[in-house]
Amino acid sequence: MTASPHFLNRPVSRRAVLGGLGALGVTGLLAGCAPSGGRTDITFFMSKTEVLEHFTELISEFNSSQSNVRVILDSSSNIAATFVRGNPPDIACFTYNLEMARFMERGALSDLSDVSIASQIRPEVQELVDQYATYPGRTSVIPWSVTAAAVIYNQDIFEEQGLEVPRTWTEFTEVCEALVAAGITPIYGTYRDPWTIAQGHFDYTVGGSFDTAEFFEKMKEQGPQVGIDSSVSFQKDFFEPMERMVQLNEWSNQNAASRGYGEGNFAMGAGEAAMYMQGPWALTEIEKTAPDARLGNFPLPMTDDPDDLRVRVNLDLALWIPEESQKKDAAREFLEFLTKPEVQDTYNQQFLAFGTRQDAPPQEDPRVAELQSFYDEGRFYQGPSKAIPLTIPAEGYIQAMMTGSSIEGTLRTMDNDWRRLAVRS
Amino acid sequence: MSTPTITTVAEPAAQRAPDEKSRRPRRKVGQERTSWGATILLLLAAVTVIVPLYVTVMMSLKTDAQAVDGNAFSLPLPLDFSTFARAWELTDFPRAFGVSVFVSAVAVAGTVILSALASYAIVRNWSHRLFRWSFFYLLAAMFLPFPVVALAQIKMTGTVGLDNPLGVAFLHIMFQMSFSILLFTAFLRSLPEELEESARLDGATTGQTFWRLVFPLLAPMSATVAIFAFLASWNDFMMPSLITSDPALQTLPVVQSLFQDQFTANYNVAFASYLMAMAPAIVVYLFTQRWVLSGVTQGAIK
Amino acid sequence: MASVAPAPSTARPAPAGERKGIPGRSGKFNRVDPVFYAFLLPALVLFTIAITVPAITGIVYSFTNSIGFGESEFIGFLNYAVLFSDPAVLSSYGFTLGFSVVTVVLVNLIAFFLALGLTSRIRFRNALRSTFVIPMVVSGIIIAYVFQYLFSNSLPQLGQAISNPVLSQSILANADLAWIGVVLVTAWQAVPSALLIYIAGLLSIPGDVYEAAQIDGASGRQRLWSITLPLVAGYIVINVIVGFKNFINSYDIIVGLTNGGPGTATRSVAMTIFTGFTGGDYAYQMANAAIFFLIAIAIAVLQLRVTRGRAAIR
Repeated sequence: MTASPHFLNRPVSRRAVLGGLGALGVTGLLAGCAPSGGRTDITFFMSKTEVLEHFTELISEFNSSQSNVRVILDSSSNIAATFVRGNPPDIACFTYNLEMARFMERGALSDLSDVSIASQIRPEVQELVDQYATYPGRTSVIPWSVTAAAVIYNQDIFEEQGLEVPRTWTEFTEVCEALVAAGITPIYGTYRDPWTIAQGHFDYTVGGSFDTAEFFEKMKEQGPQVGIDSSVSFQKDFFEPMERMVQLNEWSNQNAASRGYGEGNFAMGAGEAAMYMQGPWALTEIEKTAPDARLGNFPLPMTDDPDDLRVRVNLDLALWIPEESQKKDAAREFLEFLTKPEVQDTYNQQFLAFGTRQDAPPQEDPRVAELQSFYDEGRFYQGPSKAIPLTIPAEGYIQAMMTGSSIEGTLRTMDNDWRRLAVRS
Repeated sequence: MSTPTITTVAEPAAQRAPDEKSRRPRRKVGQERTSWGATILLLLAAVTVIVPLYVTVMMSLKTDAQAVDGNAFSLPLPLDFSTFARAWELTDFPRAFGVSVFVSAVAVAGTVILSALASYAIVRNWSHRLFRWSFFYLLAAMFLPFPVVALAQIKMTGTVGLDNPLGVAFLHIMFQMSFSILLFTAFLRSLPEELEESARLDGATTGQTFWRLVFPLLAPMSATVAIFAFLASWNDFMMPSLITSDPALQTLPVVQSLFQDQFTANYNVAFASYLMAMAPAIVVYLFTQRWVLSGVTQGAIK
Repeated sequence: MASVAPAPSTARPAPAGERKGIPGRSGKFNRVDPVFYAFLLPALVLFTIAITVPAITGIVYSFTNSIGFGESEFIGFLNYAVLFSDPAVLSSYGFTLGFSVVTVVLVNLIAFFLALGLTSRIRFRNALRSTFVIPMVVSGIIIAYVFQYLFSNSLPQLGQAISNPVLSQSILANADLAWIGVVLVTAWQAVPSALLIYIAGLLSIPGDVYEAAQIDGASGRQRLWSITLPLVAGYIVINVIVGFKNFINSYDIIVGLTNGGPGTATRSVAMTIFTGFTGGDYAYQMANAAIFFLIAIAIAVLQLRVTRGRAAIR
């Protein structure tokens, strides 16, 4: 995380008067979004910490490029609270997931089918939005940046040990055994942070085994009937992937249970292990302590057919404009700016992500370039852990399985939770 | 329950507060041997308080490379103050600090005044049902889980234009009221009423009696109430993050949550920000601790 | 004696002069001065608007299927019915109550003995008192982050140094031990306020009571049991009730320390309720919160009844 001198400063210099504490309360009352000098102020929500600086620059570029709209960055609001209050941001560039889908499903996001980029989005990518929910007759969400996550591996270690990138589960186990034999920790686990297991070990093993979008579609249909006798269930369909997930433990660092994400990044930079179940966000963190580390990426194989290989993707950033915004036109102006190919492509290139337009250029960074073909061919899935509503403490359950709880019992609990949720909603 | 059971517990303590002064010298006369055993045990116990604070300071002074070596107790040499500069910049510390001071100041003043007024009315009219029931009504909220009210409060403050630090301070006052009234009523019951009666005989109104006589007498307990109100307000994350809609007017704990984000591997910057979050309250406390301690122990109960 | 004991009982005759002037009790002023209404009403009205009305709104939502946004419909008591068969909810109650009981006991033991020490004839008394109060002023979530680092890094290093296999791993990563970490950090922060109350209580015992006991040949332990403890009983009641109320609402420290893990081993009720916001399960968790509120009140009343009875026997 590098210092960005003005991303938080900017709005203040105009609004808040330090020291004049009484005045502070008053400015708070008045600080709506009054037009300043003929310009329309719009609030732009973007809370991805690692890229704040980049967006600060984009905003100032946009603000100085025209004189109609002035964009003000919001990176700390509680987004649910803003919708409840009825004053959501005018435009947001935000991770798109089940939680956001709930707002979209209820018509909180306006139709963007007529913005210029709408027709250019790759259909398979737009389909990712629809997997969560749809609102009839609207294009509520514009995918802007997709990240692809797989197994990060240390190329130096692989070369020194004469190892090939595995393309089947059997090859993968052989790679792990060879590393163990050479006294190298094959996989670095950071189980203290449950999300790292959920997005890595869990999503890769499940997503690599079968079509998870279809699975959750059926789970939704079955709702209150989910259980041991239903056509799909966690107990039935997740059991085998979970056994393999727990098997990964054998090849992981012994202290994985007390290591966190930060320590994992440092260890990978220091070459303490050969593989790491993380997305490209980890690559930029590793770079901070080990700028010269040679890292690559491959999807975790779960079958013995190399054609089954698929990568985990997520809609890391997507654009939307709330129905309740009073300044949709101004917001759209900024949207048009953000979706200019040079703006969008520069971002995706720099932050190791993939573009969403049909004509988006390929990712050139060697650390993730290996995933390009999977992305191009549509061989990807959205993380199944993200398809489970947050009210079911799935990350906790996954962490429990990983650290020794019964797989069968935990999956049964997840089925029960799913059923109870379906009954009441 | 015909009597305020909880508060009567407190009475004797308050009323006996002056004993400390009259007692101490007496003890000293007879049996004055310092108990070194107890002193050493307490010093050892104090280490458990100091260690986490020591680690925080040490970690915050390390460089990126030193911070990941995993040894929390090693001395950070060379000293690296740049983390503070980074944390300072990233959180825009002075502004967030200003907002926090504003919120806490309003919350403390409002809590003390509103609760003192209400407590006085309640205690002096205990035989009247309205006042007695008001007491229990206000007290029950102490047990209310915050999420029950959060959503409606977000809507309400948004509707009336209080989705800002002022609204946060207002809600802090409301949430602190139960506990503060509990403390004030306990103290008020122990105040002898002769003074008030003679003030009335001299022609003072109830309002004058309160402001000129009772409120000054409440000072030690007001100090206690103020301290708790300050700490609750200063350290609160949830309320401002949900209520304040303008990100430029967020309080210190909210902007500092930036470092607690899962995508941060820099322990030294994180600890620098922890230190900056702790320091103001600790510094204020160290400067006022004499007054705080005597206020609390003379206000007797809290 | 009677004038000394901080007895949690109103049945005891009030010390001379203490209450005689209170209007109403003495019957001197039966008419309420209107100014008193003006004193009480601001608090009452604002409180009703800011707390009561939202609370009722929240409870009303517990009978719907609302996600906290958009439209919803009434579903009667369904949320409540489902609640009592939800193992996630039940286990959060189990953890929260167990954790609270242990923490209340630990905090009061530590605070009481610290208070005894800090009111005895020791050196550096003021410096030590000041030091022990510091944890109170630090925000819970921040201190949880610091301790999380210590538990995950420094303690395992110590465990490795003494070759203890259990301690070599972070106790926070151990589903059977993580609760101990939560108790310790919560206690670290909660001891000061209990300590201050006990110091106040101990200082209010006149020295001559001890002197008399000493002349009678009472040992240190006898003095503790037969003089000190009974005299501070009222303060124990306060510390237990306020402490319990705080601990069953634990949120910050757990989030910073374990975030409810490993697995769901340290998920508190407050954490579960909060998922109602983030997880789109608002109405359901409002039902949970309503039940939780009733339980909290019931426990407080029960504690009062029990302790009050004991004090009366004494």
